[in-house]
Amino acid sequence: MNRLLLVLICSTLVLGCKKGGDLFETPDSNSTGIDFTNRIEQSNDLSILDYLYFYNGGGVSVGDINNDGLPDIFFSGNQVKNKLYLNKGNLKFEDISEVAGVEGNSSWNTGTVMADVNGDGLLDIYVCAVVGINGFNGYNELYINNGDNTFSEQAARYGLDFDSYSSNAAFFDYDLDGDLDLYLLNHAVHTQNSFGRYDLRHERNFETGDKLLRNDGGKFVDVSETAGIYGGVNGYGLGLAISDFNLDGFPDIYVGNDFHEDDYYYLNNGDGTFTESLKQYFGHTSRFSMGSDVADINGDGRPDLISLDMLPEDEVALKSSEGDDNIQTQKLRIQQYGYHYQFTRNMLFLNQPDGNYMETALMSGISATDWSWSALFGDYDQDGKQDLFISNGIPKRPNDLDFINFVSSEQIKNKIDNTKLVDQEALDLMPSGNVANYIFQGSEGVTFSDMSGKWITKDTIISGATAMGDLDGDGDLDLVTNNLNSPATLYINKTGSKSNYVKLKIQFSENNRFGIGAKVYAYNKGEIQLKELFPSRGFQASSEPMIHFGFGRSEQIDSIKIIWPDRTYQLLKDVDVNQTLTISPKGTQPFNYNPAKSNGELLFTAVPNNLGFDFNHEEDNYTDFNREKLIPYQISDRGPAFALGDINNDGTIDILVGGSKFTPFKTYIQQDSVFINQRFNTVENDSIKETVSAVIADLNNDNKNDLFLTSGGGDFFGNSEALLDAYYQRNDSTFSKQKLPEFFQNSSVVKPMDFDGDGDLDLFIGGHTITSSFGAPASSYLLENDNGNFEIFQGFDQDVLKGMVTDALWDDFNGDGKIDLILVGEWMSPKFLSNKDGTFAEVNDLDLKGLWQRIAPFDIDGDGDTDYLLGNWGTNSKFKASKQHPMKLYFSDFDENGQTETITALEKNGTYYPLETLDGLTAQMVSLKKTFTSYTSFAGKTMDQLFSKEVMEKAQILEVNTLASGFLRNNKGNFEFVPFENNLQVAPLMAFAIEDFDGDGQKEVLLGGNYFGVKPYHGRLDSFPGALLKSEEEVILGNQLGLDFTKKSLRHLGVLTVNGQKCLLAVFNNDRAQVYKINN
Amino acid sequence: MKERFGLLLFLILVVSSCQKKEEPITITSEDYHNSVDKVTEVMIHDIFSPPVASRIYVYPNIAAFEILAQNNTKYKSLAGQVRGLEQIPAPSQTESINFELAALVAHIDMSKRLIFSEERIESYRDSLYTSWADKNEAVFNASKNYGLQVADHIAAWMDLDNYKQTRTMPKFTVNSDDPSRWQPTPPSYMSGIEPHWNKIRPFVIDSAGQFKPTPPPPFSMEEDSDFYKEVKEVYDISQEITAKGDESEEVAIAQFWDCNPYVSVTRGHLMFATKKITPGAHWIGIAKIASLKTNSDFAKTVYAYTQTSIAIADAFISCWDEKYRSNLIRPETLINEHIDDSWEPVLQTPPFPEYTSGHSVVSGAAATALTDIFGDNFAFDDDTEIPYGLPVRSFDSFKEAADEAAISRMYGGIHYRAAVEIGVKQGRDLGSFVVANLDLTND
Repeated sequence: MNRLLLVLICSTLVLGCKKGGDLFETPDSNSTGIDFTNRIEQSNDLSILDYLYFYNGGGVSVGDINNDGLPDIFFSGNQVKNKLYLNKGNLKFEDISEVAGVEGNSSWNTGTVMADVNGDGLLDIYVCAVVGINGFNGYNELYINNGDNTFSEQAARYGLDFDSYSSNAAFFDYDLDGDLDLYLLNHAVHTQNSFGRYDLRHERNFETGDKLLRNDGGKFVDVSETAGIYGGVNGYGLGLAISDFNLDGFPDIYVGNDFHEDDYYYLNNGDGTFTESLKQYFGHTSRFSMGSDVADINGDGRPDLISLDMLPEDEVALKSSEGDDNIQTQKLRIQQYGYHYQFTRNMLFLNQPDGNYMETALMSGISATDWSWSALFGDYDQDGKQDLFISNGIPKRPNDLDFINFVSSEQIKNKIDNTKLVDQEALDLMPSGNVANYIFQGSEGVTFSDMSGKWITKDTIISGATAMGDLDGDGDLDLVTNNLNSPATLYINKTGSKSNYVKLKIQFSENNRFGIGAKVYAYNKGEIQLKELFPSRGFQASSEPMIHFGFGRSEQIDSIKIIWPDRTYQLLKDVDVNQTLTISPKGTQPFNYNPAKSNGELLFTAVPNNLGFDFNHEEDNYTDFNREKLIPYQISDRGPAFALGDINNDGTIDILVGGSKFTPFKTYIQQDSVFINQRFNTVENDSIKETVSAVIADLNNDNKNDLFLTSGGGDFFGNSEALLDAYYQRNDSTFSKQKLPEFFQNSSVVKPMDFDGDGDLDLFIGGHTITSSFGAPASSYLLENDNGNFEIFQGFDQDVLKGMVTDALWDDFNGDGKIDLILVGEWMSPKFLSNKDGTFAEVNDLDLKGLWQRIAPFDIDGDGDTDYLLGNWGTNSKFKASKQHPMKLYFSDFDENGQTETITALEKNGTYYPLETLDGLTAQMVSLKKTFTSYTSFAGKTMDQLFSKEVMEKAQILEVNTLASGFLRNNKGNFEFVPFENNLQVAPLMAFAIEDFDGDGQKEVLLGGNYFGVKPYHGRLDSFPGALLKSEEEVILGNQLGLDFTKKSLRHLGVLTVNGQKCLLAVFNNDRAQVYKINN
Repeated sequence: MKERFGLLLFLILVVSSCQKKEEPITITSEDYHNSVDKVTEVMIHDIFSPPVASRIYVYPNIAAFEILAQNNTKYKSLAGQVRGLEQIPAPSQTESINFELAALVAHIDMSKRLIFSEERIESYRDSLYTSWADKNEAVFNASKNYGLQVADHIAAWMDLDNYKQTRTMPKFTVNSDDPSRWQPTPPSYMSGIEPHWNKIRPFVIDSAGQFKPTPPPPFSMEEDSDFYKEVKEVYDISQEITAKGDESEEVAIAQFWDCNPYVSVTRGHLMFATKKITPGAHWIGIAKIASLKTNSDFAKTVYAYTQTSIAIADAFISCWDEKYRSNLIRPETLINEHIDDSWEPVLQTPPFPEYTSGHSVVSGAAATALTDIFGDNFAFDDDTEIPYGLPVRSFDSFKEAADEAAISRMYGGIHYRAAVEIGVKQGRDLGSFVVANLDLTND
């Protein structure tokens, strides 16, 4: 009995002081002595209604201030005093704040950094403050370390005593003159209601503008203007990441701005100036950008970037919070006001060799972590892959839609309008967002697994600034978060030497003792890890200045290369694991940041004059979502049409390309190694239609090539003539329009083939959609050629040709000597139609319902038979589909007003939810407003709860169970789907070209894609750089081949020879076509 | 003991339930005002745009009026006078029907159909129902049943007004390549509302385009053009009156007639809505003031609301027809782009094209309808906006109030002069046509 009691007491004690998950323990303050609580008290004068960043929290910095080998912790408090805790070992800390003299004098402290500012080998502490609004006074304070656990505040002496709206700062040597300079991140407050033009950022504003401060012998001088740093009134700076992003040895800067201001990407020119280059290298960014962090997460030796936002994962929060702009507001912000594409979710940017970023947060599984503050990459389980910790939570969600629309005005309008008093009751009506912190385990590829609730326990604490360090000296990475109204949390990592690590402490030069800016590469068994030493990371925080690598089971590391900030390097070979190395420069050699580009030119070179092919496709202003508000993606932007062929029958290949509504397609005739745009009256006069597909072929057997064009565009409807396809017969020098059977729908593709072997070309015409009736199956047609006249071929089962067909391929897939037909399309499986003596029968039973865009035959596994490549939507979008949980599209006239609607539903935690928000759904179905009179009544409801059984049963259901692109492996006539690797899944694949591009005697496949016809909630599927597929295993991305496909939406690839030179033609939607020379 | 007490209780219950009360149910004009006010309150909560709000007022009023016209020799039915309305069914028996009660029931029921938050009307209705049933269940039931029967009839007619179809018609397409074309405006950049309102079936006017106004001055940002001068005038007036401060008469006028159902306000981290009544609702409020001031009886009150709300509803159809014909850009967009990039209008720019001014057209029409009923030079104190923190303003006539409402849009920085002056004329012409073609009384 007594013994049992003892056990109980003991286990209670153990539990009491060591709580936590599998990987991290969270000892409480009684045990550690860390009792800092960033308590914020709202008052009549100060709350979220008065100060927009009232809930952003304080800062935290970790570093060894007394050089005893144990990292100490400093917390800055908003309204409470700062605290400095001395690490006494064994996770015991001593509060020395008062004696140390670091408690602070400003009203509202924010971010904090530890750095040896005066170069005496002792870490000093810089504390940012918000000053000059809401009665906040004080200034940014610089605590110079006296070396005896006391500090002297000397910000003024160093020129760093700013009284502005600071949120964070980073000390680093941007000009490589050996001392530490400072980037000071300030934040705007809402000064005006309109977006204002983007160029407001050029007008400097002291309080809100960021500052770059050059260290001139201990005095910091504001060089923002000459260095090219923006300092405008709308820079809501919350995120700050320093890294040598472009690997030229000079540190660059990424600034995350909240609200509508773009993030800033400052590339260091190496001459003391920066060039802001966001639009050039980023297709899109997070919108309400908060914290950020940098690490090489895919082991390619280049630093990658995460920028956090606030998209909730939870359905209730998601559907009751304000989200992205509507598409027209977004267009306005971009086209009229000059801002860049921004979307409300976390963004993970993979740094590419051409300087562009491939954004994969959705595919990587880290896009939605709710109200997120700090991101910290680290190898927490020491398996060699970077993991990710994200702190989050907010006491009150100010973007709650019920509050915005219903509660706020009734409860607090008069008070805040007239008296500026805060009504506590009104604030209480805002829902709380005390969401648990997230931790993700990294993997071999670019995907992460959510380990929240496993590695760490889920709590309801609101955590902001986060720093990392090895607090208990066991070699692994511990974390500390500054929490709102709760004691700070220590996450103590229990990995230790269960998995192997190497830690490096860097000692560098006199004025940069801690070696800020050093890069360390670890090479082990063919894998590379890169770490840079820039301690200001995450959000309002700085981490222990050290480098940490995990190596899993490896006992010895092949080599470690340290590149010093002065562009020299040294190499350590055969390094033992589980040790902390202290490294200072020794036997260094100059490091060459610009190695000669590997032997010679890339495979593709853009031809500057495009050989006269000056085609620039301009999509018309039609927005599908204005008419069919609920469709999952647009159908109007699938053009332009493109065909190669000898239009003027002179033996050289010409180009047909275009057109869009009211703009006729164009013909470019090859003459003396250039292309000349030649115009044909018949064609020009027939310009109303939107041409999406074309062939150049002799259709009436007169030895002259004719033209056939299919129409689509999603704009024209009913029996509009503009929906009719067009057939132009070549006469001597002109074209004459010929009659065709009439069918009205948006066609997608035309594929010629003499399927009946009667010596003339027949045409398959793919039907994509019926305007204003997305989801209704369109019909495809086979037009049988009779002396140059076409009739609809009747040898099909009616239903076989129904569907949203996007592409078709004539190929004898069963090897019976007769040409068969394969169709692919959206919301359908590929259809294999076997030619049986003049009729066609569907033979396959593939359950592969996808959003298929393209099909191409290619023996990818080199086994001698034909496999089929299939371009799909990819896995890097908000769409989600599997065999078990297909994406569903309900199609019906739900509200019985004569107009059909579609509702897209996605699975989450085993049940289905609509993709659209309440506002989205009611824009089309106003009757729902009667059922759901508040956002709360709608949020978190499943499809079954939202719509009655009778309503759902009336609807037709379309499904997608496969979003990955891939290929059908031909196993002796049986086809098995094999998805491509993740690099090829970042965006829809829209074009294939098969050719021996590299001249090795083997054919390769060049693929490209990207697609923008989605709503802002979906983002912009713009990250695919194209790729050359040599075999199943060998994929080379286009950005290593000289191709510039990123941020463009490719539609067609063509290969032709001009004057003996093999060329690649790339045709984009709404962009300039490009000719590439193929170098082989 | 217990048993006997139970028996007693039972007997009391039986007796009291048998003794049906037969008190008269008196419905006053005050009851009708309350019902209209209730609809206004729910509309503010639910957030309806001004054109939609005008539709929510008119049908319940017509339902009530049609019931009264059945039984009141002073008034004539609207059947055959407003487009598509057929005679409402006659009651199967008349002796136990309180027509005023039936009219009120129809008003409440129609209102409930038209707003979103039905529970807000239901709780209001149910407490009235209970008190009426308590007074005289037989009369209440008969009147209620008749009221609901008429509501069904009116609703069936209403459902053919193309409202449902216009819900799913395309949104207004923003095209910033055309410099004269309307664009969404700060701070919330809302899409243009109700671009298809001209497809709503009108009541009295022949078609949405019947009172098509003359076009505004041709768009030009050349400094000597008439159009530019009007843009500049908005800016100059705004600078002048804001320099005088919030206490200036012009700012007060602008605020008084703001009537914006959804003003987006940014404070701290919040962007939220402050909500007021619509322009139509303000004139419904003036109809109430005039009815009260003249001690109008129940029937005349309903008549005043009905004629006013018909004029307002047709005015919105006419005005919206022009708005999405001319698709004219708002002063705020042009002034920010060409004159002063930090200028903000005194009032928040509403989310639809500029020409003509909705408030001007509606005020012109409503004032004409009210003058027809209550006479010219009808002086009144307008306290409609008190619940929204605004003062009382006094007017000597409906016309004077309409003129002030019109010019307030220039002071507010949201309309050019042409939209105001031509707009108020458009409204008066339309209003005159409506009153000339409506024959509602037997006077």
